[in-house]
Amino acid sequence: MKTDNLHQVISIRNLTDSAYVVRMSRRGLQFRAGQHILLGKAGSIHNREYSVYSGENDDFFEVLIKEVDEGLVSKQLKKLKPGEMVQIEGPLGFFTIPAELVNSAKFLFIGTGTGIAPFHSFVKSYPQIDYRLLHGVRFGNEAYDKMDYDAKRHILCTSGDKTGNYHGRVTKWLKENEVSPDTHCYLCGNFNMIHEAFEILEKKGVPPSNVHAEVYF
Amino acid sequence: MKKIAFKTLGCRLNQYETDALASRFHAGSYEVVDFDEQADVYVVNTCTVTNQSDQKSRQTIHQARRRNNDALVVVTGCMANNYKESLLESKSINYVVDNERKSAIYSIIEEHYRGQVPDPEGFDADVFSYETATKTFHTRSMIKIQDGCDNFCTFCIIPKVRGRAVSRPKNEILDNIRQVLGHGFREVVLTGVNIGRYDSEGTNFEQLVESILELPGDFRLRISSIEPDGFSNRFLELFDHPKLTPHLHLCLQSGSEAVLLRMRRMYTAREFRQIAETLRSRYPNFNLTTDIIVGFPGESDDEFAQTVQMAKELRFSHIHTFKYSVRSGTRAERMPAQVSEKIKNQRSEIIRKIAIESKIAYFNSMLGSTQRMLVERITDSHTARGYGEHYIPIRIENAAHLSRNQFVNVRLESIYMAEEPEVIATIID
Ligand SMILES: Cc1cc2nc3c(=O)[nH]c(=O)nc-3n(C[C@H](O)[C@H](O)[C@H](O)COP(=O)(O)OP(=O)(O)OC[C@H]3O[C@@H](n4cnc5c(N)ncnc54)[C@H](O)[C@@H]3O)c2cc1C
Repeated sequence: MKTDNLHQVISIRNLTDSAYVVRMSRRGLQFRAGQHILLGKAGSIHNREYSVYSGENDDFFEVLIKEVDEGLVSKQLKKLKPGEMVQIEGPLGFFTIPAELVNSAKFLFIGTGTGIAPFHSFVKSYPQIDYRLLHGVRFGNEAYDKMDYDAKRHILCTSGDKTGNYHGRVTKWLKENEVSPDTHCYLCGNFNMIHEAFEILEKKGVPPSNVHAEVYF
Repeated sequence: MKKIAFKTLGCRLNQYETDALASRFHAGSYEVVDFDEQADVYVVNTCTVTNQSDQKSRQTIHQARRRNNDALVVVTGCMANNYKESLLESKSINYVVDNERKSAIYSIIEEHYRGQVPDPEGFDADVFSYETATKTFHTRSMIKIQDGCDNFCTFCIIPKVRGRAVSRPKNEILDNIRQVLGHGFREVVLTGVNIGRYDSEGTNFEQLVESILELPGDFRLRISSIEPDGFSNRFLELFDHPKLTPHLHLCLQSGSEAVLLRMRRMYTAREFRQIAETLRSRYPNFNLTTDIIVGFPGESDDEFAQTVQMAKELRFSHIHTFKYSVRSGTRAERMPAQVSEKIKNQRSEIIRKIAIESKIAYFNSMLGSTQRMLVERITDSHTARGYGEHYIPIRIENAAHLSRNQFVNVRLESIYMAEEPEVIATIID
């Protein structure tokens, strides 16, 4: 068995009944914020894509996972214990911010559920970044690691209760609020949200080249 | 002298690799014969991109075995990566060589004939160590610049069988092109799995193309299949250069934004349209060809109608239609709402009809114009056949005085209707 892609689990941190953060040894593996890895239990033939949750300069790797009903890998990984091994392929993907834009452009990050993961990595990697983050969840307790974001930049949209900053889906917020066409928009998570958000942003005059999407399912 | 025969399935990259192997065997005193003939060695360079390609690959392996029960049958290509274990168990096959070690097939066969028992896994993995194909089946010289893909489209098995994206160093590519030009080739075709993502030591795809165009000599450069992501507008401007042929095979896959998102394609239909419009406004006759997948999981009638609309609107001169087929281990395999074969067949037929109509319309629009044709072969009945810079297939009757691999200026006169239509031309100088 290949061993150069094996990483040790450091901790499992439960954020809700179903969402958890796996912290793993980094072993020097480089990545760019926004990229994902293929993660599975060591020795298993099954793996899945997970966005890297931690920052580029952290000395560990983290991913934020939601256990999916009827899901295979998200259930297996939830049972991991510190000290156990996982295998990582990657990093992969192009859902990244070009270096020349990081400190000069303004960004709108829109994520549903665990689709907030790459934005967590952006914010940790680039502390100076000028962003607004729209996080869409059903209930307020799913505002994963809310304290890691600047409260003035973080807009929690809750569709199932009124505990967020905004009651309703992120797409509803988007329709009702201004987005200037020079904003770089990053959309991540559920396909339906991304599809709808694309159309709304187009109507607001944001050119397609400024809209980037990472579809989870 | 031992006889060796090759059969290539699938993409241009496979074709390039077969050409390079054939050339190596030819230089090593093997006689390269047609696959239909009796040979001592058969090399089947397989494809696994759809169920159909799996089936064809298996049939070809059995054909090889039936042709000569004593022959060595070597199976390589993407099926060798995807189904290694089951192929190794097959009695019809002597050696299974994965993509990474394909270039070692010559050494494997040589060891075999020296009475050793070579283990293909024991050879070094190197996806670029092919020799320059001097003796090829084509007048176009394919140059491999890249291998593998990191896009991970949800339907696609390629990242699994070709691995992560790797780019060949620019200097090696330029040396290779100088060599083939020295051997007399007049057309260079860039190949790879996802060439627009070329990235080697700070050189990106557009910069590589610019460097190639600066090479001296009477040749032209063709970009083969490319994904509509990864390159910038600067690339589109390079078509101003007279050596760069005004043709792109730009893979659309679907005209529906929703389907493209579910496929995890890295561009939108709007962006695709924009690229086509930019090209056509700068170069009105620009030839666009494409691939379309019909019946992707969940593809609704409306979503398919958007593909139909785009196929009509963008006037592709050729559309390669694929019926979606489930590839094990891909995300799309786990998607709900798989589309029935019946609907896939219907949709494929609709696209096929549009493809023929738009091919004829494109050819018609080019009649009366001139092309620089590269003669690829002269048939027994003295018809010269080849392609113009726009990648239009051209035929010239009574052309016994022409020779293979010659550039000739022609005027396009009329359409030659056949299963694969061509354009009849006359020589103008
Ligand atoms: C590039 C990329 C990055 C990703 N990053 C993350 C991440 O950071 N965190 C994360 O939790 N997931 C992420 N995912 C989704 C993840 O890869 C898995 O699909 C998810 O964990 C379910 O896997 P499973 O094996 O448990 O379920 P499977 O057995 O694969 O699927 C079971 C069913 O659940 C559906 N499903 C898949 N994901 C979800 C979901 N999140 N919510 C509801 N239903 C779902 C599937 O469509 C399927 O029908 C990402 C996906 C991609 C493509």
